[in-house]
Amino acid sequence: MKKVAVLGWELPPYFAGGLGIHTLNLYARLAKFFKIEIYIPKFDSFSFHYPFEVKMVDFRSKFHSPYSSNPDFFELVKAYNEALVENFKDEDVALIHAHDWITFLAASRIKEKYKIPLVITVHSTEFDRSGNFYPQKRIIDIEQLGLDVADTVITVSNYTKNLLLKNYKCKEEKIVTIYNAVRHDLFYVAERSYNLNNLILYFGRLTPQKGPKFFVETAIKVAQEFPEVKFVLAGAGEEMDNLKRISGKFLNRNIFFEGFVTTEKARELYSKCDAFIIPAVSEPFGITVLEAMSAGAPVIASKTTGVAEALKNILVADFWDTDLIAEYVISLIKHRSLRKELGQNGKMEALKFTWDRTALNTLEVYRKYL
Amino acid sequence: MKQVIFFFEAHQPRRIRPYRRNEIGKNHDYFWKEKNEEILNRVINKCYIPMTIFLIDNNFPCSISISGVLLEQLLEINSEVIDLFKEYFKSGIGELVGETYYHSLASIWNFSEFEEQVKIHEENLRKIFGIKPVTFRNTELIYSDEISFEIKKLGYKNVLTEGTDEIISKYNPNYMYSSVAGLNLFLRNYRLSDDISFRFSNYRWNEYPLFADKYAKWIYLTPGEVINLFMDYETFGEHNWKETGIFDFMKYLPLELKKYDIELTTIKSFAEKNVSKGTISINKIISWADIERDLSAWLGNDLQREAFDFMISLNKNRNMHIWRILQTSDHFYYMSTKMLSDQEVHEYFNPYKSPYLAFIYYTNILEDFRITYCF
Repeated sequence: MKKVAVLGWELPPYFAGGLGIHTLNLYARLAKFFKIEIYIPKFDSFSFHYPFEVKMVDFRSKFHSPYSSNPDFFELVKAYNEALVENFKDEDVALIHAHDWITFLAASRIKEKYKIPLVITVHSTEFDRSGNFYPQKRIIDIEQLGLDVADTVITVSNYTKNLLLKNYKCKEEKIVTIYNAVRHDLFYVAERSYNLNNLILYFGRLTPQKGPKFFVETAIKVAQEFPEVKFVLAGAGEEMDNLKRISGKFLNRNIFFEGFVTTEKARELYSKCDAFIIPAVSEPFGITVLEAMSAGAPVIASKTTGVAEALKNILVADFWDTDLIAEYVISLIKHRSLRKELGQNGKMEALKFTWDRTALNTLEVYRKYL
Repeated sequence: MKQVIFFFEAHQPRRIRPYRRNEIGKNHDYFWKEKNEEILNRVINKCYIPMTIFLIDNNFPCSISISGVLLEQLLEINSEVIDLFKEYFKSGIGELVGETYYHSLASIWNFSEFEEQVKIHEENLRKIFGIKPVTFRNTELIYSDEISFEIKKLGYKNVLTEGTDEIISKYNPNYMYSSVAGLNLFLRNYRLSDDISFRFSNYRWNEYPLFADKYAKWIYLTPGEVINLFMDYETFGEHNWKETGIFDFMKYLPLELKKYDIELTTIKSFAEKNVSKGTISINKIISWADIERDLSAWLGNDLQREAFDFMISLNKNRNMHIWRILQTSDHFYYMSTKMLSDQEVHEYFNPYKSPYLAFIYYTNILEDFRITYCF
């Protein structure tokens, strides 16, 4: 049986970022139709069972979050990629599927060595991760290499597709957009009263790319007119102290930092909030938008949040336009009907995004090569 | 002898503009001048001018209503259309039909408000055309027994409404009936009407392309005395562009109908020469909108109901004209969130592309209106 070799990086429950969630949900489904082998870095205590084969790559180094700003991180990735090439077994492998730049060096060498077709998925680019501030040339070069050698490029939104066309001159005919999805079983909330809770939510890492600063700016503008409204930031990150500082006198009165929250807590916050705001500066997709919608929350998203392009039942603004975002928040606070219609229709719309759909769309790409 | 009545509704709302919260209390200019002019100019050039010339040139009989909010906009930007309408009505071949000036939903919540808006429109039509209509078409064919009594009280003789599935399961819509109030009641034949207004240029329709001879035969084969084809005036040239052949279709239709000895007429003239087939009671409110044929196109969700109630609550004010323009049904239509195929029609017309923005701009404006004009 022909196999698909996946070059991965993270796999829940370890290091569950968007890439990890995607990897687990996608291949749990595709494993029903193809033999899947996933290469990931070796963990010390690995005892989970997956519906696909997991191949651990030992590269004798300490494991770091792929998005940390640790200066050694680049060297770590290089070490992982070298080990990947050495450990790779081409027997029966008909297709390689590599995810993000952290696997592209190995992907290009494996493709060249064994002449196996290569599909890559771009979950984010260096331009997104840097929030357009000081993107690293050496990482962009690796992304460029991956895009050049890949036979098909999957992006998670047309927003990212356009970035690839513009910044990497990627060939348009190679690119396929396949949207991410949401685990409705984890977030869906059947009934909500839509009575006012005076709770506005941000949920995501506190990094410049995700735009929490614009959430705090919005909070300050709204709090001046509506002092009873609470703005909650759920998530941790390097911007925390800076954000607390700019919150000023509104800190602990209107603006609250929850820190890291569990999935259960996230669902509770989604289901209570009067608005969920994602003011991302550059977000390829934004799974949290679908999570919030699945829980019935009204959503305000920045235009630079990929998933927004596929949604009708949300409000949209430029990430920097906190005057407008604040106006939307006020309208939501003032009008129950707006909360209810956005929330309920948004929930129905979010239900269309399932990992089954994502897997079937990916299967269509695989079929070209298998 | 069988007859066919074309009734056309000519209406363009004064759309409100994207009105921001930070303008409340400062800016009382609510309407979207550029957008309204852009759309109106397009419709004038694609439909109002060519179609009205068509009616004149072809001696084409029909009944037409023209809303007050359209007339005042035409007077502002292009009075040529009004001159053409005058010429058409002067010929005596067409009939001018009454309605509320503001194309509003007044009939469903306040009869004295309704009466006032009807009278404002009558005065308007008298001034412009020198005509007092005897036929009434309420906004989007909204109708009930109760409303028919009000229309009767205002002196009208004939009224139009929808031949809903429920009604036509009991009554053939192709006859003239009486309302419980004693008005002559005309029921729209929605299938034959929609064949022209919705399906004419739909190439996926199995009857596409529709030619006049085929359509004339359908009418001939339809049992009854009067076939009521009611539709938007914008059907001709705007919803179906000239290139679809819609004008040629209309040109040849009377000739093809003649082969079957079928004539075109107006509501007024049909009613004068024929007798009612019997009285029909319609005790709940119906309309021609969406699949439901009820009020749900305007008041189907919480956004629409909250906005509508908010508007009503501002009835004691110093600017009745603006308040009434804010009653135009289209403002509520844009807030519809129906998920089914009708939503495509709502979105086609929605200048904001989002029911939520339609609601936000509208309620922002009402907040300013309250501060600025309310007692």
